[in-house]
Amino acid sequence: MAHPELEERPAKKRRFFVDDELPPSSSTSTQSSAPLLSSNVEAEVTIKTPEIAPHTPGAFDVDLLAGIIGETLSTTVVEHLIKASDGNLERAINIYLDGSWKDQTTPAVSLPTDPSNVSEASSLSLVSSKKPARPGKQLSRFPDKRYIGSFGVAGWATRSGLGLLTFGEKIQIERAKPVAAKKPGRFGNGAGSKRNDIVVRFTNSRREEVGRLENTAAAWIASLLDQHICFLEGTCVYAPNRIKTGDDLILQLHCYLLKTAFGSFGFGRMDSNRERNIFEAQESSEERDLRLRQIALVKLFEEIHLTPSSGHHQDEGQKREGIIQVAEKITEAGVQKIGDTSKQTENDPASPSSDVAENGEELEQDQLDALYKKAQAFDFDSPEAEPASTFILSLRRYQKQALHWMIGKETASSEREESMHPLWDEYKWPVKDSDGNDLPTTSNADSFYVNLYSGTLDLEFPVQEQNCLGGILADEMGLGKTIEVLSLVHSHRDESLPPAANRSNTINDLSRLHEPTSALNVEPAPSTTLVICPMSLLSQWKSEAEKASSPGTVNVFVYYGSEKNLDLRTLCCRANSTQIPNIIITSYGTVLSQYQEMASRDGTMKPDSLFGLSYYRVVLDEAHMIKNRTSKTAKACYELKAQHRWVLSGTPIVNREQDLFSLVHFLQVAPWSNFSYWRTFITAPFESGDFLRALRVLQTVMEPLILRRTKDMKLPSGEALVPLPTRTIKIDKLELSESERDVYDFFFHRAKRTFDANADNLLKKYTTIFAQILRLRQTCCHPLLTRNPGIVADEEDAINAKDVESGLSDDMDLVSLLSKFEGETEEQDANKFGAAVLRQIQEESAVECPICCEEPMNEQTVTGCWHSACKQCILDYIQHQREKGQTPKCFNCREEINNRDLFEVVRHDGVEHGHTGTSELSTSKAAASKISLRRLGINGSTKISALLTELKKLRVQDPMTKSVVFSQFTSFLDLIEPALKRDHIAFLRFDGTMAQKQRAAVIDEFVNRRNGVVLLLSLRAGGVGLNLTAAKHVFMMDPWWSFAVEAQAIDRVHRMGQESEVHVTRFIIQGTVEERMLKIQERKRFIATSLGMMNEEEKKLQRIEDIKELLS
Amino acid sequence: MALPKRIIKETERLMAEPVPGISAVPHDDNLRYFDVTIDGPTQSPYEGGTFKLELFLPDDYPMTPPKVRFLTKIYHPNIDRLGRICLDVLKGNWSPALQIRTILLSIQALLGAPNPDDPLANDVAQQWKEDQNTAIATAKEWTEKYAKA
Repeated sequence: MAHPELEERPAKKRRFFVDDELPPSSSTSTQSSAPLLSSNVEAEVTIKTPEIAPHTPGAFDVDLLAGIIGETLSTTVVEHLIKASDGNLERAINIYLDGSWKDQTTPAVSLPTDPSNVSEASSLSLVSSKKPARPGKQLSRFPDKRYIGSFGVAGWATRSGLGLLTFGEKIQIERAKPVAAKKPGRFGNGAGSKRNDIVVRFTNSRREEVGRLENTAAAWIASLLDQHICFLEGTCVYAPNRIKTGDDLILQLHCYLLKTAFGSFGFGRMDSNRERNIFEAQESSEERDLRLRQIALVKLFEEIHLTPSSGHHQDEGQKREGIIQVAEKITEAGVQKIGDTSKQTENDPASPSSDVAENGEELEQDQLDALYKKAQAFDFDSPEAEPASTFILSLRRYQKQALHWMIGKETASSEREESMHPLWDEYKWPVKDSDGNDLPTTSNADSFYVNLYSGTLDLEFPVQEQNCLGGILADEMGLGKTIEVLSLVHSHRDESLPPAANRSNTINDLSRLHEPTSALNVEPAPSTTLVICPMSLLSQWKSEAEKASSPGTVNVFVYYGSEKNLDLRTLCCRANSTQIPNIIITSYGTVLSQYQEMASRDGTMKPDSLFGLSYYRVVLDEAHMIKNRTSKTAKACYELKAQHRWVLSGTPIVNREQDLFSLVHFLQVAPWSNFSYWRTFITAPFESGDFLRALRVLQTVMEPLILRRTKDMKLPSGEALVPLPTRTIKIDKLELSESERDVYDFFFHRAKRTFDANADNLLKKYTTIFAQILRLRQTCCHPLLTRNPGIVADEEDAINAKDVESGLSDDMDLVSLLSKFEGETEEQDANKFGAAVLRQIQEESAVECPICCEEPMNEQTVTGCWHSACKQCILDYIQHQREKGQTPKCFNCREEINNRDLFEVVRHDGVEHGHTGTSELSTSKAAASKISLRRLGINGSTKISALLTELKKLRVQDPMTKSVVFSQFTSFLDLIEPALKRDHIAFLRFDGTMAQKQRAAVIDEFVNRRNGVVLLLSLRAGGVGLNLTAAKHVFMMDPWWSFAVEAQAIDRVHRMGQESEVHVTRFIIQGTVEERMLKIQERKRFIATSLGMMNEEEKKLQRIEDIKELLS
Repeated sequence: MALPKRIIKETERLMAEPVPGISAVPHDDNLRYFDVTIDGPTQSPYEGGTFKLELFLPDDYPMTPPKVRFLTKIYHPNIDRLGRICLDVLKGNWSPALQIRTILLSIQALLGAPNPDDPLANDVAQQWKEDQNTAIATAKEWTEKYAKA
């Protein structure tokens, strides 16, 4: 847009009402009844100059400019220069020479912004991230208020009278509080009462109330006044001599920014917010204030035609496009909403306006793929870096490339010069008032800075901090993110601070420690990397860190549990340099609890807490833990201070694009860490369905930040990036035994009855039906599980528990069904049956199974007549004969036999030393004769028997084999335990109830045990993070609703470091809900329910679908 | 369907250590189908004859017995004109612990010891009971006629 008139009237009036070409305020040179003033009227307005020392700006001399620059400039150029420099010659020259004027050919109209755009997070980071003042700024001399411009506005009279207001009369602007709104003459219409808190009154020079400003203008002017940003005074431009109530009055308002407006939106609010709004997904009062402030500032700058003199214009087009889009969305519902929300009390959580943001649509898998595509465009020839010699593990090529990339990230931008923060714009203070009179200036302060995304103002130059010296390491699980980070710890240390430099501070530190510390008192920990990970991974991090370092080169310290009593400050800052921990490992829980402690102390921290240090590097492992930006954990992590920030996550986006925002915010990547900015360019386009555009932006954000490789990436040569051994998954379909089937049918019919009876209203009976389905699934595992109160509590179906208790009477047949499982558990030493029997068993054990010719037999089992065969063969044969209606007979001697008289031969050789069998008699001396007989059928559960069969087979094949057994029911693990014990299979147990130290010990033993061992794991406790590559076999005892969860568990074994083939066996009972669950799994592979991302209601609906499938 | 380990093992053993006077060779295209020959036991009317049989292992073998039938015509009270054999271990007295080898031995034994009290071929059994000598002569004659060369 060109402004030819500027040449004649430099800098003087262009801000006011003459800008014919701006559409929003275009009713120029109009009749005096128009809301805006024409320029000739304006010229006559007199304004009292504020009481500030006058200042004489030099006139703009075009010839001088041309002379200095050394070339003749076209009038257009000159015009731009004048405009850009506010008529300041020196500045104009500079602007011309650095070329920045070219960017400014379009005066950036102040930007209308999305009211719901603002989060307290944004103001928080931006306000607090300011650097100390540039030298030379003398704030003390800054006046209390400073003129920034004038604009016209319409008002209406609230009373009638003659000569109430005369042309040119000075007007006071007052903010009417809701109480004051019950003045006479108030319009009783709905709009008025609805917005009674935006009423802005004005009084004449005699301080009599004359009228009010029009609502559209009053809305934002009210916020300016309420939030103490502006001081306004005005002059009357037009008023009829005889004023009647409701008459239009035209005023010109002169606006002054108050000194208090600058940089004052800060800590106090933030702290209160911290406590109150931590879980509030809705717009908080701070967010609303911010939003209103944002709108108000945008409007104000628009009205006074103040445009940024410098800012970030390279993306101006994009920026405006985005903001306009969002603004359009808002205008539909916005005006109403602004009124509504501003009316709401601070504690009202029902504000509708930010719902959209929180329930943003989830990303489909293909969208995610597209999103990662760019990030995954990994260059296989990118440079590598060799780790420092203190790092003793060898890295794979792609890991060295990661190291190079990370070192690059940490060092990269450190040489960049100071530049303005991308969210801020610079504005010049006007040097002339609306009449062309010179205004006083303050030395060294001829511009101010505005951040329209956070609605904040500042007098100081907002420096873009070199804050993102880190990134997102998003290699897929199993590629060795931990190792990569450890190599970085070794290879990139801070050399700038010799440890000795710290020592001089000792006395200082001491004295500080004793006084109550302020929130700003943060000590540097220049050689420490803080690692935050889920609790279950603490010990793994520690051991990997130790394994990776040559002895004595890296101090690893786990900050957890009782260790927390140590004073980190003493440890990191003052101890002599050899003892400073290089790596502190702590859990999210610890960070959170210390954060809450800090919040409860009103923002002051305990000096010895995690927050009392500024680390060299902070690393968040499994960083999707903070994907929800409103969660306490996320907020706690944001508060950590460090020079370098890294997040590790195999799934940086779990299901919405906002997941990534939280990471970006943690990383402090300006401008994206500003939620308002993020919403404008990413969330909003996503929501409006403009996926491609949002994707493009998101890719741009992620590309420099993220390094992601996947397991199935292929090198150009065709080799896999990580050659992992193959993994075979076998589904072992089992048949329930007759008595198990009876119990199952019992539950099935009951569930079906409930289901049919409530087919129309499943959601209501959800808990009951879901509990009954649970019973079915438990029966598939072990009928006795259904009687276990622990599980009932597990699944929060207390209702059903009660149900079962009260309905126990009609459960009598169930009780009898179950009692079949609680058969005797005797185990008898074979010696008791005499030498002959023993000899026979011994002899037969050496030969093959007479039925299947297997050699040796699988689970040698003897009949009552002491003939041996594989257990399964005998059972099959008995079954076969029964089906033919025959009395089962021994395959060998045709003696009649039955299930009760079958004994499994339990061998005690090859068993752990020190593991004494319960019923061994002292008479048996030779190891070979150590056998005992156990009646079959006491395990009761098909799955347990199947598991034992498999495990015993493995033990025969390779006594050193380690296996992992997963179940989602810890009480099922409880039942598996005794079965393993009986068969003398060594096992370990790991579940959620164990303390951290115990867990570590279990994993440690599992990895280091020389002999074969079985690890019993609960699916939930063991699903994440653990490294179980010592095992080769995985048994999944029961299916989960989504295979993704099972797959994650399997990946604990099948991951980097696994050297042999991995065999997975999934036990599924045929003809039961389990089989149908497999179908459900197939249907919704990788859908979000399983990952706990849906809210409770969505989950239920999803489950209802599942239930229908299960029972129909 | 994969061949069960048991059948493989039995076949291998029949090949490796054949029973004197008995041979059993599986078909190439159906390893459950065997061509069997049994030499007539000495001191029996069938001496000198070589009898052909077919043997088939059903899917649920060894839970159910193999199916065996004489292909060579034979005059025997427990074997009918279609070659079907009346033998307890091939019926109710089958046990999975028995094998092809043992079954064929049992059949060989049956040739040596006909049991006209549990007949399958009623006319033959009748003859055997009423006039054993004539019956034996007929058996020899049949052997000569059908079971040689």
